[in-house]
Amino acid sequence: MASPTNPSAARLAACDCLTPFGDASATHAALLRGERALQPSPVLGREGGDAVPLALLPGRALDEANPPAWLQPLATLLAPVAGPEWGTAHRPVCVTSSNFGVGSLHALRRTGEAGHAPHGTPHGSVELVRRALGWGENVAIFSHACVSAHLGLVHASRLLAAGAAEEVLVVSYDFLSPFVAGGFHALKILNTDFPAPYQDRAAGSIGLGDGAGYAVLSRGRGDLSIEAHSLHNEMYHFTANKPDGAGFAAALAPLAAVAAGRRLWVKGHGTGTLEAGRLEATAVALAFPGAPLVGWKGSLGHTLGSCGIVELAIAAAALRSGRTPGTVGSASPTFTDAVALEPFDNSAFDGAVCASNAFGGAHAAFLLSHA
Amino acid sequence: MLERFIQAVRTDAPEAEEAAATRVRLKDRFAPGVVRRMTQLGLFVGAVLGELQPGEDDALVYATQFGEGRALEGYLDSFPSASPTLFQTSIHPSGAQQGLIGRQRSVREFFPLAGGNQLVATAAQAALLAHAERVLFCGGEERGTWLVPHAAASDRAFAFAIALTRAEGPGALGRLALEPAADGAGALALPVWFELLHHRRPFAGAVAPGWRLVLEWR
Repeated sequence: MASPTNPSAARLAACDCLTPFGDASATHAALLRGERALQPSPVLGREGGDAVPLALLPGRALDEANPPAWLQPLATLLAPVAGPEWGTAHRPVCVTSSNFGVGSLHALRRTGEAGHAPHGTPHGSVELVRRALGWGENVAIFSHACVSAHLGLVHASRLLAAGAAEEVLVVSYDFLSPFVAGGFHALKILNTDFPAPYQDRAAGSIGLGDGAGYAVLSRGRGDLSIEAHSLHNEMYHFTANKPDGAGFAAALAPLAAVAAGRRLWVKGHGTGTLEAGRLEATAVALAFPGAPLVGWKGSLGHTLGSCGIVELAIAAAALRSGRTPGTVGSASPTFTDAVALEPFDNSAFDGAVCASNAFGGAHAAFLLSHA
Repeated sequence: MLERFIQAVRTDAPEAEEAAATRVRLKDRFAPGVVRRMTQLGLFVGAVLGELQPGEDDALVYATQFGEGRALEGYLDSFPSASPTLFQTSIHPSGAQQGLIGRQRSVREFFPLAGGNQLVATAAQAALLAHAERVLFCGGEERGTWLVPHAAASDRAFAFAIALTRAEGPGALGRLALEPAADGAGALALPVWFELLHHRRPFAGAVAPGWRLVLEWR
């Protein structure tokens, strides 16, 4: 069995997220109430198209503005970690995303307005954020589709373990645009149905959501700990997993070994696609027998490269409050009996496993617990 | 100090080669039927990386500033009838995944990075922090077309892959290290890094605040 990617614990000194519900506390509360942020929205924004489930920040249009309309709400979220003390040699920043500012390139192509272009590349988008927040230049950029945020957290843990940083700020943001909504719609993964993660039904479907978050990782500050990470990349197919579920099992096994004997709940990836949902639920039941499995993308939509950190912030709120939101948007029958549809009390649990998946059969997971 | 030893180097400098010519030149490196679906960057990176025989236990670090410029341009051009194929191939880090999927080569750790002036520094840092015995550090760019004047696609093409180990061994070709330095500015762009590898030139200098990169050849 492979060993965990990073067995050294890092403390979670600060963490928050931004969804259409608000910050992590507001999002956690909305999920506990079973609310759904997803709303039927034209897949191509002002150019119309099918009404698909999208969860946009209040008042934000799908079509990109110049400067990008996401910059101000992102800057507000990141206000606690603004300033020149971040992005330095000892307090580096890791920015992760799958979209960065690519909506600006779509706007460039559709409108011909060259002013969109500087924000369209990953480095251009991050430079816009870096300047707005006043960070220094020590900023790493990771982009691995929907496991992007996990890679930033792994890298941060390694910087701390190596003594190469005192604290590390991991930031992730993904804001929707016709670019990404149109792409998933073209792949026939995003359609007019609302997602129902882990529900055994005739057809699968996902929703997409705006999302951003940050985490400050530290060696000694914080009430929660990310104890271990695990990574695995199947490289089987761009948009499908190995049909025997071996990729899910390979990603979860190292964490199951670390967590042996402890009582955990699992925050799965759970986008609402059928085959991946079935494989994931089965693998979770085998790796963590009896552990409740929840997924929150039936409410928030898939926040893409940022889902790992958005859902970390919600999981942290759940551990602190003692209440874990259920799998909003889903109903019986589910792929396994372990799928928790309703909120539950987690005070008797030792922690949570948080998992994400991505194109290319990429898997990433970590173990979050009280420090 | 973070350091590893260079055991193998592969580079490709295709200059202005067109995609059709690249397919002909590199088709023997991939399984039959795979090449026609690959991007030019996927072919470049897949070929140099394939020579290093990536394995399950290797850690893979991939660096590209712009990624699949042509697929991105084609996907943007396809609206309002968005192309599903161009969407998935335009997504970072498709350039490294295409060859690995074609060869059905799973890897445990895969760290794809993007970025500008700090890209080489941060990718080298990811490579030198990896726990795997062998780390494969690869990357590259393909030439774009209409996005190039907007500085949103690369204006040149290249690819590289190097194999790094903890132990020096008798066959080491060189050494890559990151050393703490006085907090100051520094930069090393990906095309400059490629030229260092391609011509096996040494380098020692600031590449990011607080970090000095050392590249030595035996």
